[in-house]
Amino acid sequence: MKKVLIVDDSIAVARQLEKILTGSEEFEVAGHAKNGAEAIKMKQTTRPDLICMDMNMPVMDGLTALRTLMAMDPNAKVVMVTSLGGVGDKFAEALRLGAKTVISKPFDADAVLQTLRDL
Amino acid sequence: MAVKFFGQFLLEHHAVKQEDLLKAIELQETTNLKFGATALAMGLISLTSFERVHNAQRLEDLKFGDMAIKLGILTEEQVKQVLIRQKNNHLYIGEALVRIGALSSEDLKHYLDAFKEDQAPYVVDRIVIPAEVSHPQVWEICADLTFKLLLRVAGLATRTTAGQISDTLDPLFQAAIMPFKGTVQGRYALCVTEATRLAIAKAILKEDSVAGEAEEVLNDTVLEFVNIICGNIAAKSAQLGVSFEIDPPYMHPSSAGSLNAQPGEKILTFPIHVADGDAIILALFIKD
Repeated sequence: MKKVLIVDDSIAVARQLEKILTGSEEFEVAGHAKNGAEAIKMKQTTRPDLICMDMNMPVMDGLTALRTLMAMDPNAKVVMVTSLGGVGDKFAEALRLGAKTVISKPFDADAVLQTLRDL
Repeated sequence: MAVKFFGQFLLEHHAVKQEDLLKAIELQETTNLKFGATALAMGLISLTSFERVHNAQRLEDLKFGDMAIKLGILTEEQVKQVLIRQKNNHLYIGEALVRIGALSSEDLKHYLDAFKEDQAPYVVDRIVIPAEVSHPQVWEICADLTFKLLLRVAGLATRTTAGQISDTLDPLFQAAIMPFKGTVQGRYALCVTEATRLAIAKAILKEDSVAGEAEEVLNDTVLEFVNIICGNIAAKSAQLGVSFEIDPPYMHPSSAGSLNAQPGEKILTFPIHVADGDAIILALFIKD
């Protein structure tokens, strides 16, 4: 079973993603970081296989965290799950920084699972 | 299920690879010159004038063309010529993918049709915005996508009346607020009743009942809903060439009192009638 670290300042989104992931029986939740800085710490302590990360967060935003995470581990598999996914510039920047793909909110369960399976 | 960038849609449908998409974006960036660079390439301005406009833009928030007119470097007619050149030479992401051989012309047509169908629910309907506000198209998108996402995400059928300008706002039970910054400045606020908060919470958490949920969780669902709406507004606006940033949302409870317009701001409100007799308010704090 693959371990997924959820990075989002929203408790509601974390709950939604956790429900989708655990319901599939293919993934388990490694932890929930509420901002980019927490994600960097939790990446080291929880050693997830995949990271689902928001872009717009307080303390440290998702793109700044993505840059650091990829510098720490160039093989990290990060998917951005964000309401800003449809903004072309943000999308391109995320891919350039090493994100595998970007999923726009609102998302549906099947699209999230399929994307994670494909990684 | 959201406003998307065409490249993102292609990636989602496994039509292109991530590395090819990046190559196509790079090709776009080298082909689609900014206004100043286009004017320079057309021989309408010198490098010295180009730098003069840039320096002046640091002191005053004007677009390159507008600043060049203000400084007497370009005429209005020349600015139009540059804009036409930019439009005619613009390389779209789909064409860029065809050019690098990552997508065939036939597949591009097929996926463009599918993309248009996917995005049809987000085509903006006509909403009347008072003439005196700046960036009216962005505020029109704000109102339109709020109504559409209330229905699509929260399952709330709504109807509204024309927008009204005011100086103060009753937050009802609570207002979830998202600041806009950059080219478009202001605040987006969705003022909800307790009943609407519960409907949004059920939809976001995908639960039949949210009885017993902590206040923090219920509030968070409204903030997340506003985050989704504003992210989609930013995406739709970017498609129209208006880019701006959004900050994380925050809550203004009714106990904190009325919300007032700050200096230089006006409040555009849309009363929204929800199907079961409930009424909420969309308020746009527009800074000129």
